[in-house]
Amino acid sequence: MRNLLNFLVRYNSLIIFLFLEGIAFYLISTRNSYHNSRIVNSVRSTTRGVEEKINNTKSYLSLHEINERLAAENIALRNNISKLVKKESSLFFSVDDSTHRQQYLHTSAEVIENSINRQRNFFTINKGDSQGIKVDMAVISANSVAGVIIGCSKDYSVAMSLLNPDFKLSARIKSNGYFGSLSWNGRDYKYAILSEIPQHVLVNVGDTIETTGYSAIFPEGVIVGTVSDYEKFGGDFYKITVLLMTDFKKLHFVDVIGNMKKTEQLELEKLFK
Amino acid sequence: MINSILRFGLIFILLILLQVLLLNNIQFSGYVNPYVYIMFILLLPIEIPSWLLLLLSFATGLIIDFFSGSTGMHTSATVLAGFVRPYVLRIVSPKDGYESGSDPSMMIYGFRWFFFYALLMVLIHHTTLFYIEVFRFADFFRTMLRVLLSTMFSMTFILLIEFYRRGK
Repeated sequence: MRNLLNFLVRYNSLIIFLFLEGIAFYLISTRNSYHNSRIVNSVRSTTRGVEEKINNTKSYLSLHEINERLAAENIALRNNISKLVKKESSLFFSVDDSTHRQQYLHTSAEVIENSINRQRNFFTINKGDSQGIKVDMAVISANSVAGVIIGCSKDYSVAMSLLNPDFKLSARIKSNGYFGSLSWNGRDYKYAILSEIPQHVLVNVGDTIETTGYSAIFPEGVIVGTVSDYEKFGGDFYKITVLLMTDFKKLHFVDVIGNMKKTEQLELEKLFK
Repeated sequence: MINSILRFGLIFILLILLQVLLLNNIQFSGYVNPYVYIMFILLLPIEIPSWLLLLLSFATGLIIDFFSGSTGMHTSATVLAGFVRPYVLRIVSPKDGYESGSDPSMMIYGFRWFFFYALLMVLIHHTTLFYIEVFRFADFFRTMLRVLLSTMFSMTFILLIEFYRRGK
């Protein structure tokens, strides 16, 4: 007994050290898995007040730029509306249901916390459950891919940024339709890697890369970026470096897109798997 | 006693605010993330009991983790830094030893001493932190580059703050 006590006294700092490191590694081991966003969420709720203050200051400083971007987006949308109105009237539609053909539901939101310099990046937006945001909805910024929602509380949601190696996106080359898997390699926040494109496909620097819509999260044809470089990788495939369209350093106003027919698609697909 | 608790409390709050409000928001390429909050562990009195040092390291890391949305990473790196601090102090100890009851500051032990002490501590902390962050050895050399660049920036901040403290 006395030996044990002596031992404890002698190595007390080592024991406390191991105990505290144990707690730390327990915390690490429960983080970051794709579906376990509960911890991220609950931890963040404690620091949100501060984050919102920081964000307010930041958004004040960049108001001019944001205004310009919103104006440009407005014009683009107005153009689209005028096109749609024409189409609609020429088809003699008399159905009153305004959502009868709608597949995707857009909600605008503001990013209140964001990072680009970690290995696994997440951002927080200021809309949550009560605004109809759900897990697995797509997040885009000015029609280019930004991330996917992984957890919601009442008024906030946490999204996994495209700058996260756990985020795999099905994307294709717009000009010829060949698709592959796009993910971030943890290096530069401006570039991601598109793999699984076979070598017989013609790839050019500057080709547009867009989403495929196969995952039922992102709508088809959302722009990801442009090809900035490609090299042969292994025997059969290209490794294509994609210059991302979204500037994650300036991520501020985003659209959250929910697919209203997602359950239908997934259930049908499940029948044949 | 009360006086020094107040003083270190103030340093603690200022460093955490500097880290969370300013440095965490500087996102300069993917390679440079200065973490200056570790300076709090550097500045604690030389004769602080090791259990208190460890608990304070744990608390510091946990708070930074809360604000960075990363669970456990900063905590484990900071606790390790707190654990090795007595050994680092022994390695860099000046010729005639430490004065009893003194703080490890540039004012007392000079620039050279403080530089090597801070460099060793920051290197240990950053190395642990960045390797835990990537959690694989695939990008070994790139992670090392991140460690070295970030250490340079953290050291610059720490030395600037320490010069300012000395100047007062």
